[in-house]
Amino acid sequence: MAEPARTFRAKPDRPAPAQTVGAVGWMRRNLFSSPANTALTLIGAYFAYWVIATVVDWALLDAVWQAETRRECLDAVGRSGACWPGVFVWFENLIYGLYPKDQIWRVNAGFALLVAWLVPLWLERVRSKVAIGVSAVLAYPVLASYFFLGGDKGFLWSASIAAALTAFVWVWATAIAERRTGRTLGELVLARADALDADPRHHRRLLFYTAAAGWLVAYALVALWYLPYVTTNDWGGLFLTLVISGIGITFSLPAGVVLALGRRSELPVIRLICTVFIELFRSVPLITILFMFTTMLPLFLPVGVEVDQLVRAIVAVCLFASAYMAEVVRGGLQAIPRGQYEAAAAMGLGYWQATRLIVMPQALKIMIPTIVSTFIGFFKDTTLVSIIGLFDLLNMARAIGEDTDWLGLFIEPFFVVTLIYFAFCFAMSQYSLNLERRLDTGQRS
Amino acid sequence: MRRQTLLFSAAAFAALGLAAEAGAQETLAQVKERGHLNCQVGLPTPGFYALADDGTWSGIDVDMCRAVSAAVFDDPDRIEYQSVTSAVRFTSLANGESDMLSRTTTWTAVRDTQLGMTFAGVNFYDGQGFMVPKDLGVTSVNELDGATVCVLTGTTTELNLADYFRANDLAFEPVTNENVNVIVETYLGGGCDAYTNDKSGLAARRSAFPNPDDHVILPETISKEPLGPVVREGDENWSDIVRWVLLGMIEAEEVGLTSANLDDMMESENPKVRRILGVEGNIGEGLGLPNDFMVDVLRSVGNYGEVYERNIGADTPIGLERAGTLNAQWTEGGILYAMPFR
Repeated sequence: MAEPARTFRAKPDRPAPAQTVGAVGWMRRNLFSSPANTALTLIGAYFAYWVIATVVDWALLDAVWQAETRRECLDAVGRSGACWPGVFVWFENLIYGLYPKDQIWRVNAGFALLVAWLVPLWLERVRSKVAIGVSAVLAYPVLASYFFLGGDKGFLWSASIAAALTAFVWVWATAIAERRTGRTLGELVLARADALDADPRHHRRLLFYTAAAGWLVAYALVALWYLPYVTTNDWGGLFLTLVISGIGITFSLPAGVVLALGRRSELPVIRLICTVFIELFRSVPLITILFMFTTMLPLFLPVGVEVDQLVRAIVAVCLFASAYMAEVVRGGLQAIPRGQYEAAAAMGLGYWQATRLIVMPQALKIMIPTIVSTFIGFFKDTTLVSIIGLFDLLNMARAIGEDTDWLGLFIEPFFVVTLIYFAFCFAMSQYSLNLERRLDTGQRS
Repeated sequence: MRRQTLLFSAAAFAALGLAAEAGAQETLAQVKERGHLNCQVGLPTPGFYALADDGTWSGIDVDMCRAVSAAVFDDPDRIEYQSVTSAVRFTSLANGESDMLSRTTTWTAVRDTQLGMTFAGVNFYDGQGFMVPKDLGVTSVNELDGATVCVLTGTTTELNLADYFRANDLAFEPVTNENVNVIVETYLGGGCDAYTNDKSGLAARRSAFPNPDDHVILPETISKEPLGPVVREGDENWSDIVRWVLLGMIEAEEVGLTSANLDDMMESENPKVRRILGVEGNIGEGLGLPNDFMVDVLRSVGNYGEVYERNIGADTPIGLERAGTLNAQWTEGGILYAMPFR
C-alpha cells in the first residue's frame, strides 16, 4: 500500500516583520538607515518645522485680517504678524491694474474667451485641431484686444473683429460637428447642399459663400457693439503680465522655429540675416532692448506719431524671446541624427516635407523641457517692464507699500505675488511634464 | 544696476541732440491737439505722487500737473500719468514721451545745462537728513563716524552722503538698495545704524514705523534739494506756462486768494488780485492761454498753501509742519517768493 501522496502544502505566509512594512518600514529604510542619515533626517525635520511654523505664525496665526490702515495693524501686532487688509484692498489692482472697476468684466470675458477657444484642442475625436490652434493664434488676439481696449472702430477694425468672431463660431461648430458625426463642418455644409460630389472648385466657392455669410452676420453684430475706450496706461497687474508674456511666448515659438531653420539654411543670405538677428538680440540684455524700444524709438518717429508704450514693450519682448527660442530650437534640431534627414530624403521627401513630417516632430519633442523653462523665464522676465513705467504684477505690489494708508507694507504684497508667480510657473512645468509623458514614444528610457 | 545706469545716461545724451529739434515751440499745440497732458511722475511716493487703490493720483507734484492741465484745458483731470523709474526720467522727457516732469527732481546745474532740461521753478524745498534709533544715543550726524548707513541707490542722496562724510573726515559704510521699502525694512531690522533720505521722506517713513517715537531725525540738513517741475529745453512758451502757473499759485496764496473765496475776490479792487484773476492785464495772452487761466487753476487745484496742506501738511499722515520752514512764504520767514505777477 502506497503511502498517500504527500503533497506540499505551503504554510500561510507570515506577515513581514512589522518594522519593514508600511510607513514604519519605509521610514526605517529611507530616513533612519544609519546614524548619519538619522541625524540628517532630524535636522531636516526641525528645519522644515521651523520654516513652516514661522510662516504659519506670521501669515495666519498672528496676522491681522481687518483694519483700515497699516497703523491699526502695527498697533495690534507690530511687525510680528502679516497685515492682510492692505493686500485685500489692493487685490483687484494686483490682478487688473488700474483698469476701470466697472469694466473689469471685459478682462474676465477676454480670458474666458481664450479658454473657450482652446477647449476643443483637448477634446477627443476633434480632428481639425491644427486649424483651431492656428485660428486661436491669429484671430483670438484681434477679438481680445477689442475686449480689452474698446473704443471707436473704423471699417477695417470692425471687419477684423467680425472675422475673428466668425472664426470663434467656426471653432465650436466644427468641434461639435466632429464629435457628433466625425465629419468636419465643411463636409456637413457640402452634404447639406448636396454638393459633395461636385468638383473641388465648386466646393471652395460654396464654403467661401458660407463663411462670407457668417462674416456679414458677425459684422452686423459687431457694428452694434460698443465698449468704452480703456487706455493701455490703465492696464496692469497680473492681467498686463499675462498679456505681455502671453503674446511674447506665442510669438516666440513660430518665430524661433523659422529663425532656427534660417540659421541652418544653406542659402547664405538667409543664414546671415538670421544669425545676425539672433546674435544681436541674444547678446543684449532684455532691459536694454526694452529701454531702446521705449525711449529711443520715439526719437526716430516723426513728431506727433506716438506708438503706444505697451506695444513697444511687447514688440521688444517678442523680438528678444524669438531670438532665445531660435537657439533652443536649433539645439533640438542638432540632436536629430543625420540618418533621419537621409532617410527622409531617401523616401523622396523634399526639404519642407522632411522638416515638417520627420525632423520637427522629433526635435520639438526633445525640446519640450527646454522650451518650457524658456517660457517660464519669459514669464518672469516681464517684470522688467516695470522699469519703463508699466504697472505689471510686481510694480503693482510695490505700489501698495507706497499708498499713504499702507505705507511700508511690502512683505505681504510680495508674498502674495510670489504665490501667484509660483502657481503659474508650477502649472506650466507640470503641464510640460504631462506633455512629455503623453508624447513619450519610448525612445528614451 | 550701475552699468545699466551708465547705459541709460549714454542713451539719454545721444537722445538730446535729436530731441532739441523735435520739441521746439510746439508743446502747447501738441498737448491741445492730443487732448490731454502727459505728466511724468515717479514710482508712487506718498505726499508727492501717491497712487490710491482706486487708481487716482494725488500729491503736491501731481497737483502741479493738474494745475497746468486746468490752465490749458479748464479741466484738471485731462492728464495721462506716466510713472517711470528715476533712471529713465530725463530720457522720457527728452524724447517727447512726457510733456512735463513733476517728480521731486532736484534742480542742479548739470541737469539744467547739460541734459537739455529747463527747470520751471521750485515747488518744494527739501534737504537731506538722517534718522537714527533713539537708543543709539546719537544727537548729531558728526557722531556717526564708522556707522553703516542705509541709502537709496541712483539718486543724489547717495552722492551727498559720500560728499558730506568725506568733507567731515568721517568713515561710513553704505547699505544700498533701489527699493525704499527694502531700505526701511533693513533699517528697522537693525541692518544699519542710520537711514538717510530727504527729510520729507524720512518724516513720511517714520510715520509708518511700528513705534515712530523710537526714532529721531537728526538736526543737520546736509544738502539743498530744491524740487520742482521740469520741461524740455527749447520751448520757451511751454516752460513759461509751467513756471507762471506755479508762481501764480504761490502769488495767490500771498494775496489771500483761495479756491473758497475765488468768486468773492472777482470783485476785488486789489490790482494784484485782479491781475491774477485776469480781470486786469493780459498775462494769459502772453502765454497763449486765456487771461483768466489762473481762475481755472485756483478753482480746481487751489493756491500753493492749499496744495501743501492737503498733501503733505501737518494734518496729513506725512505731517510736515510748514511754518518756520523754507517752504513758508517769504512774508512769514520762508523763502517761497513768487516773482511779481504783472
